Amino acid sequence: MSLSRTHPAWVPYFFIAPFLLIFSVFMVYPLVSSISMSAFQSYGPQFSTFVGLDNFKNVFLDPDFWTAVKNTLIYSCASVMIQLPLSLGLALLLNRPDVKAKGFFRLIFFSPALVGLVFVAILFGLLLGARDGLVNEVLRQVIPGFPAEFFWLQRYVMPALIIASLWIYVGFNMVYFLAALQSINRDQIEAAMIDGANAVQRFVHVILPAIKPVAGFVVLLSIIGSLQLFELPFILLGGAGPENRGLTLVMYLYQNGFEQNDLGYASAIGWILAIFLMGIAIVHRRLTREEL
Amino acid sequence: MNFRLVFLIMLPHSLSPGSFTILTLAVISSFLIFLRHDPEEEGIEFWMFAKNHYVMYEEEFEKARDPQVNGDLIAYGAMERRLLSGVLSDTPVPDLVEVQLTMASRFFSGPIDAVGFTDLRPLLEAEGLDKRINPASFSPWTREGRIFGLPHDMHPVMLGYRADIVEAAGIDVNDIETWEDFVRILTPLMRDFDGDGTMDRYLLDLWETDYFGIEMLLLQAGGWYFDITGAPAMNSDINIKVLATMVHWTTGPSRIGVNVPRFDAEGNRMRLEGGVIFQFMPDWYAGVMQQDVPGLAGKMKMMPLPAWEPGGRRTSCTGGTMLSIPKRAAHPEAAWEFAKKLYLGTEVAEKLYKEAMIVSPVIDNWDEDFYDEPIAYYSGQPVGRFYLDLANDIPQRVPSAFMVMAQQAMINAFIRTRREAQQAGVHEVEDILSLARAELDTAQTLIENKMRRNTFLNPMEDQP
Repeated sequence: MSLSRTHPAWVPYFFIAPFLLIFSVFMVYPLVSSISMSAFQSYGPQFSTFVGLDNFKNVFLDPDFWTAVKNTLIYSCASVMIQLPLSLGLALLLNRPDVKAKGFFRLIFFSPALVGLVFVAILFGLLLGARDGLVNEVLRQVIPGFPAEFFWLQRYVMPALIIASLWIYVGFNMVYFLAALQSINRDQIEAAMIDGANAVQRFVHVILPAIKPVAGFVVLLSIIGSLQLFELPFILLGGAGPENRGLTLVMYLYQNGFEQNDLGYASAIGWILAIFLMGIAIVHRRLTREEL
Repeated sequence: MNFRLVFLIMLPHSLSPGSFTILTLAVISSFLIFLRHDPEEEGIEFWMFAKNHYVMYEEEFEKARDPQVNGDLIAYGAMERRLLSGVLSDTPVPDLVEVQLTMASRFFSGPIDAVGFTDLRPLLEAEGLDKRINPASFSPWTREGRIFGLPHDMHPVMLGYRADIVEAAGIDVNDIETWEDFVRILTPLMRDFDGDGTMDRYLLDLWETDYFGIEMLLLQAGGWYFDITGAPAMNSDINIKVLATMVHWTTGPSRIGVNVPRFDAEGNRMRLEGGVIFQFMPDWYAGVMQQDVPGLAGKMKMMPLPAWEPGGRRTSCTGGTMLSIPKRAAHPEAAWEFAKKLYLGTEVAEKLYKEAMIVSPVIDNWDEDFYDEPIAYYSGQPVGRFYLDLANDIPQRVPSAFMVMAQQAMINAFIRTRREAQQAGVHEVEDILSLARAELDTAQTLIENKMRRNTFLNPMEDQP
């Protein structure tokens, strides 16, 4: 029995109407509106002055923007280059047939992702306290003469952010890789073994090509997620941190849009970020076209 | 068509269970939303973010009749967003609202007519109230001559110190008039208890990331982020001198400052264990100390800040709160009457002092006896009277929408200057001055550029 014979033609539209309405009001309208807003200096929705492309010009002239770009790119590169190999490594280990209690380890590695960035930021704030932080307490026990006060969150802002994010996301991404690894046909691997391929050759020539689509997807998600970094430094450092070393692009947007109330300028920053993300997505799609 | 729709709803058998559930939930929730009616409370709506304020005012709320007063305690961040939305987008606003200094700067970044609070100057002048309140307390709430709030406080600053340590060393703090005296007389009190080459006891709670200490010292010296016109003054000669001195105090062999965070277990442990002897103590923090570090009861005393020059200012100020009437308040006249009763009266002033150690900015209240009562925590000193004796010297602050940015720029200049001084191995103020000047020139340019961008609020246009 076909759908058209049981329901009138308008029924599907009736059911998707609430979604379309909400999507239009809260996504499409703000998106379109933000384009026009980026040409205005604003103070809330009631006061605005047309400034043309000045907002974009001022963004590119502001040294804080370039600090935010630099910090965000460093964090994103670290996310991809450190986090993903670690995730893949953990997944490979857990995928070994001789590993017992796989479910338990999977839960252990994944569990940091359950607690949320705000909790992680607070936790790392306590760990990295200048005097009584757990890290300093341990180092004082291990290294004779380690100073009574050591300001991790002033001296090593970016490493602290990267380590905190590793703790959350390594296990999270591991789940994707593990799913991909488990979908590989064992026959292929065994055939490679019979042909004399060693572990590295099996990884490079069999496993990696098989998980390439998932790996590409995880890379894209990681890049997009890390370019949107905000809560972690905001809570851990209470803002942009010393010398703006924790200032990210989204925090720069927040400062201008919600602390200075200039939604026009914030819209310009948002569009620059959106265009950048779209560029990355296009490049990624071109590079992985065959798999996708 | 309508008949078929009704037919569909009335006959759930014609829909799948999932579709029917979705539709039913949609209909019920829509119905409930339309039915929901928030009862409009009569009387004055009063928002505040500080719980201790709410507790102090509760009795006044209960006493108030015709109109009654409904006090709402709202978390700081939530109140800021709700108030901004109210002012900028016409969502509901209260009749009265307490606004903290940093929060207030968010409301000053648009055109002067867009500031969402009533200008109280005509009312204050007509009733002679401007003469009854400490003039410096109006300064953070005044923009282009308009006064947007009734000051809740003055927040004069003294130095709180560990009297047990200082007096055991036979030091009389009355011998200390200037910061130079302070360093010379008190440096011998610093200690390296475990002999590891790092001090375990420092003189002063001052650090490069603590804008409280930085601002108190800048204001005391006569500096600030902005000049009287509101234009940035990051690289003024006074600021350069203060920054160089702060770097001198926090680096190398001349270091006397240490990071002692407020509202923090680590910081409070340092206070308790004598890791720091002297602390900047605005009146509100004198109250917080009693609650957060009760173990220091009877061991603490207060003294005025040492002056930058002989005969100079012995106090400073920090923070602050105003009571405002939003322009769109439903009952502005009644709100104004209640505001006066609450802020100008002696009863709340007494509670404010006894429960939070905050001294009133209302000059008429300064003669009250309760300010002379000895405070056991501070070794029996009449701390309230000490603060009031300094009230007339409290420096004025120029408000700005760019205050938070300027704070961050000053902190960054401090961090960089300190690092450069360490790398160059220079520790004397005279040698640090050129480094401080270069960093504050950079900070000045940064703030100027950010201000120039704001077409609503552009004191830079008048600058050469």
